[in-house]
Amino acid sequence: MAIAHEFNYERPQSLHAAMELKDSYRNSALIYAGGTDLVVNIKEGMLKPELLIDIKDIPELHKLCLDNGTLYIGAAVTFMELIDTDFVEQACQMLHDAAKTVASHGVRSRATLAGNICSAVPSLDSATPLLCYDAVVHCQSLEGTRNIPIGDWFLAPRKTAIKDNELVTGISLKIPKEQNAGVYLKLGRYGGEDLAQAGWGIWLNNAKQYRIAHCALAPTPKRAFAIEALLNGKELSPELIQTAIALLDEEIKPISDIRSGKEYRMHVSGVMLKRGLYAAKDRLDGKIVEPAKLLGGI
Amino acid sequence: MKEISFMLNSELRSVSVEPNEVLLDVLRDKLGVKSPKCGCERGDCGACTVLLDGKAVRSCLVLAVEAENHSIITVEGISVEKLSALQEAFIQFNSFQCGYCAPGIILAVTELLQAHPKPTLEQIKESIAGNLCRCTGYTPIFDAIMALTKEEGK
Amino acid sequence: MKEYTYIGKDVTRIDGLEKISGAAIYGDDIDFGANLLHAELVSSTEAHAIIKSIDISEALKVKGVYKIFTGKDFPYKFGLYMKDRFIFAQDKVRFVGEQIAAVVARTPGAAKRAAALVKVEYEPLPAVLDQMDALADGATLLHPDLENYPHVPWFFPKPGTNVAHWRKTRKGDLEGGFAQADYILEDTYTVPRYAHCAIETHVAVGKFDYSGRLTVWSSSQSPHTQRHLFAEALGLGHKDVRVIAPHVGGGFGGKAGVTMEIIPAALATKLKGYAVKLRYSREQEFINTYQRLGVVAKIKMGVSKEGKITALDHKIYWDAGAYVEYGANVVNAVGLSAIGPYKIDNVSIDSVCIYTNLPPGGAYRGFGYSEMLFGLESHVTRVANELGIDQIEFRRNNAIRVGDTTAYGAKMNPNGLLECIDKVTKAIDWEHRPVSQNPNTVIGKGFSLFWKAPAMPPNASSSAFLKFNEDSSINLIISGMDIGQGYQTVMAQIAAEILSVPPSKIRVETPDTDRNPYEWQTVASHITWSSGNAVKKAAIDAREQILSLVHRVYNLPLEELYLQDEAVKCTQDPRFVLPLKDFVVDGIMTKDGTFKGGPINARGMFMPEFSSTNGDPETSQGGHPNVHYTVGAAALTVEIDKDTGKIKVLKTALAIDAGKALNPDLVRGQITGGLLQGLATVLYEDMRYDAKGKLLNPNFTDYKIPTAMDVPEEIIPIIVEVPQPDGPFGARGIGEHTMLPAAPMIANAVEDALGIRIKSMPITAEKVAMALLAKKK
Repeated sequence: MAIAHEFNYERPQSLHAAMELKDSYRNSALIYAGGTDLVVNIKEGMLKPELLIDIKDIPELHKLCLDNGTLYIGAAVTFMELIDTDFVEQACQMLHDAAKTVASHGVRSRATLAGNICSAVPSLDSATPLLCYDAVVHCQSLEGTRNIPIGDWFLAPRKTAIKDNELVTGISLKIPKEQNAGVYLKLGRYGGEDLAQAGWGIWLNNAKQYRIAHCALAPTPKRAFAIEALLNGKELSPELIQTAIALLDEEIKPISDIRSGKEYRMHVSGVMLKRGLYAAKDRLDGKIVEPAKLLGGI
Repeated sequence: MKEISFMLNSELRSVSVEPNEVLLDVLRDKLGVKSPKCGCERGDCGACTVLLDGKAVRSCLVLAVEAENHSIITVEGISVEKLSALQEAFIQFNSFQCGYCAPGIILAVTELLQAHPKPTLEQIKESIAGNLCRCTGYTPIFDAIMALTKEEGK
Repeated sequence: MKEYTYIGKDVTRIDGLEKISGAAIYGDDIDFGANLLHAELVSSTEAHAIIKSIDISEALKVKGVYKIFTGKDFPYKFGLYMKDRFIFAQDKVRFVGEQIAAVVARTPGAAKRAAALVKVEYEPLPAVLDQMDALADGATLLHPDLENYPHVPWFFPKPGTNVAHWRKTRKGDLEGGFAQADYILEDTYTVPRYAHCAIETHVAVGKFDYSGRLTVWSSSQSPHTQRHLFAEALGLGHKDVRVIAPHVGGGFGGKAGVTMEIIPAALATKLKGYAVKLRYSREQEFINTYQRLGVVAKIKMGVSKEGKITALDHKIYWDAGAYVEYGANVVNAVGLSAIGPYKIDNVSIDSVCIYTNLPPGGAYRGFGYSEMLFGLESHVTRVANELGIDQIEFRRNNAIRVGDTTAYGAKMNPNGLLECIDKVTKAIDWEHRPVSQNPNTVIGKGFSLFWKAPAMPPNASSSAFLKFNEDSSINLIISGMDIGQGYQTVMAQIAAEILSVPPSKIRVETPDTDRNPYEWQTVASHITWSSGNAVKKAAIDAREQILSLVHRVYNLPLEELYLQDEAVKCTQDPRFVLPLKDFVVDGIMTKDGTFKGGPINARGMFMPEFSSTNGDPETSQGGHPNVHYTVGAAALTVEIDKDTGKIKVLKTALAIDAGKALNPDLVRGQITGGLLQGLATVLYEDMRYDAKGKLLNPNFTDYKIPTAMDVPEEIIPIIVEVPQPDGPFGARGIGEHTMLPAAPMIANAVEDALGIRIKSMPITAEKVAMALLAKKK
């Protein structure tokens, strides 16, 4: 299908040149990395940019490294690179789990984590590990740098804290030193790629500290602080988990849409929370867990 | 219009494109390469898969201007001298019916086999999970790849 | 049994090389040069409304726009079985997505930009989106003018209502049958609409040249039917309309008949000298081609305590959409066959085709039988369970056998239904009741029978031309479409068997109605049977020409001559070997230096001369509307997560009576492919509309078709062969049938595992989980 909308395309060779373009075009310029979401939105008339700024020639945006306990993911790093990089899986298995659930192979070879969080849809798989690991989104403009905690990033569906002259340069996650484990569980309508009906990221450490985040269950992906507070310091038990599930009514605000009814989202969240907590604990205990198979169907 | 040059199936090609043209349309309409097919226009079906610098991508979601100085491979590019062993296996196992999805699936698996010459069934499924085939039920595709990669091990 | 050389063998597909090398040409792959124009449609945003005005002034200003056409330019009706459609909406629109106008421009982008600027003013009318509402007294009429619509004689519309056709079948004494019954079960089953989702969307290019000849390149299952409808609708002679059908990227019924192809055909007639292309987007593919019809089925079945079905009252209400020119025949077909593969003496079937303000219903793999069998095979399982009779035994006891009468009075053809039941039961290890090792899951098994007959006019015919080339290779010129099923290969096998030329030396090209002989359509799973008979006759014609020539020249007895290894041989003289390549074009040189014979060109034709549709309108008794039925059985084992409701198919077996599997591997391919398509309709696919008739999931993001991750762990295809007496080498069609049992066997397995009967499709994880929760409460 031809793209009816006409726009210009620039491929700056430096971050500074990209920032200059963004500064002068503001909202009429959009950042183009993988394009897997952006091009669809332009084709369907949802976005009508004057200019696309392709950032893939900017070397520093391809940086992917683990330094001093910080996992840094440049804005042009694709999901496939995250999946194929051993230190990512070792440092943050939950992120690795989530990356593997994003779309399909041919999309993941182009789609980026940074682009994903800029789309800010409620069903954002990758948001849950970022929330659990208290990620920081690094934004840059000619005015300078802003480091935005992921908890402040998602403002509303498809709306983030980025300013109109900024671009995301990277995302960093603090990898805890103590023994810890995480898992991302995603429920879709079938075995193939799907947007989440519900997604739960669950993390815990050997000090019985818990971090829990969800997607597709509220206007934005969120941490479930009340549940974390209940669980912190406690050993998992069926009773404890039942008490945690009882808090879901307060924690999540699912809606009914084409993918699921809100009642099912509410019900299955309890199932996912329970199985996710045990799966994370299993991983902490060194057991192998296949998250894709934990919810049945495949 | 911008004039771009890139390696297409091992041949240097030049073509003028508008920024809003996607690679799929330019390959098909301006460069005469017809094996990448249009199926959904939004990255869901994989019929437009091409190898961009060796990686399977959706050519319906790649702007053509981006191809400049890169390499694109389509099924035409791997069929010039003779078919690949993978293509031969697809024929032998009736791994296609209408054939519309076949070029995309062959390229996706070509990429897989380069990274994993002996893939597991799980890896095969994962590599083509984004390539929709409405005809075969996929089983003959799995069979062809499993048989091929088993043979290579002999 | 006779040993064949090519029949019954896993011959490699003859279209493999072109499809796997990227050489195969599909509709959108053809180049038309600089005079190609692109059309984009302006579509209705209303489900039912009067078009007050269409303002094209802003659209015309877009650079690159050539012309804009509306309904005023084409006041023509068309339709396959009932002429109830227009090329463009006239005064009214009847569904969201209906074409109102077309922008023709130099580039697709310009056409699209301009189409968005066409302003249509509507006066909304009440819309009926549900067939039961449409049937109610006082419902808004979609077609107040129904009485004037031309239609085939075997349709029975009810003017003044929304009923486009009502097929009634009556046999025996229904009340008496229920009086005999010890147990009666009555219930309602519902099936939503479904989309075909061929990966290639519809595409067609029309060109009207300066001599007044119309050529249409079309991705189609029905080139000759298209030519006929184009000629009829546009007032052209058939010789001046040519349809060229390249490879088709999937059909499944969606590219049968005529839908969008008539638009570029019509546009072309007003754009002399240009080619004009219309290629559907995926969204258009969802909203404005045929869809599978929705169903509400009310079943009342009476049985004796011994387990004999004594009576069946089956009422099926079809949501057929805004235009039913093709879909009404789905309704008709099922109205004749809604007893399923059972012998039932007392029957009443009402199959009611109802207009609604949703997109037109039409052919979809299975042609209504999937929808019908979901209810019937669910019901049969429930009845057997209620009686405490094993459901397999119950099916076996009531199974229709050769010579039994169908609901409309004709005799059932030879069939291997019982053998299919036995083989499936064994393959799935039916008696074994496995217990899940996973505390979260339970395991269940489901079973279903299926049957289906080709639905076609009694005079639907096939024909074939066959010509030899110098090297004794063959061009087989036929007009069926290889929509993936392997038609070209199987037809080559038939000619190969008769003529001793290997299929690899037979070229079957996609059809061109100017050059290829008539074929009705590639639908109804009738093409192997019908076109196969025509090809066989053509090959026999060629063989007769060859042998009689050799007989004439060499004076060998005709009955001693035969073909083997591409040569004429003689039973009485082993030394006589005359290679075909020596004479099939050039003839045979005789002693005096003259030549006898010449190019071998042959023809064959097949029409089922025993078929008729003149059954009684009130009972359907008397005609022979269905040429034969193909039957089978299937079963599966599923593992269901009790909390998430997710269903995993562990193992499934399907046995089908192919009569004779001309190419067993292609039959197995239909089984693996059809089963997955069927499982998808029951597990996750469905079309969802909002309260205003707008489709909510017109893309693969939210209309989920199966991926490589969704394949059952184990599929066991089983071929049974009870020959079809009038089939080529005993063959009958199997293509559609393989998806028929999927939905009821899942429903039956869910009940087996969980004790919950779900009576509406799809049976999603959500539906299962919520039903379980409701049961717990």
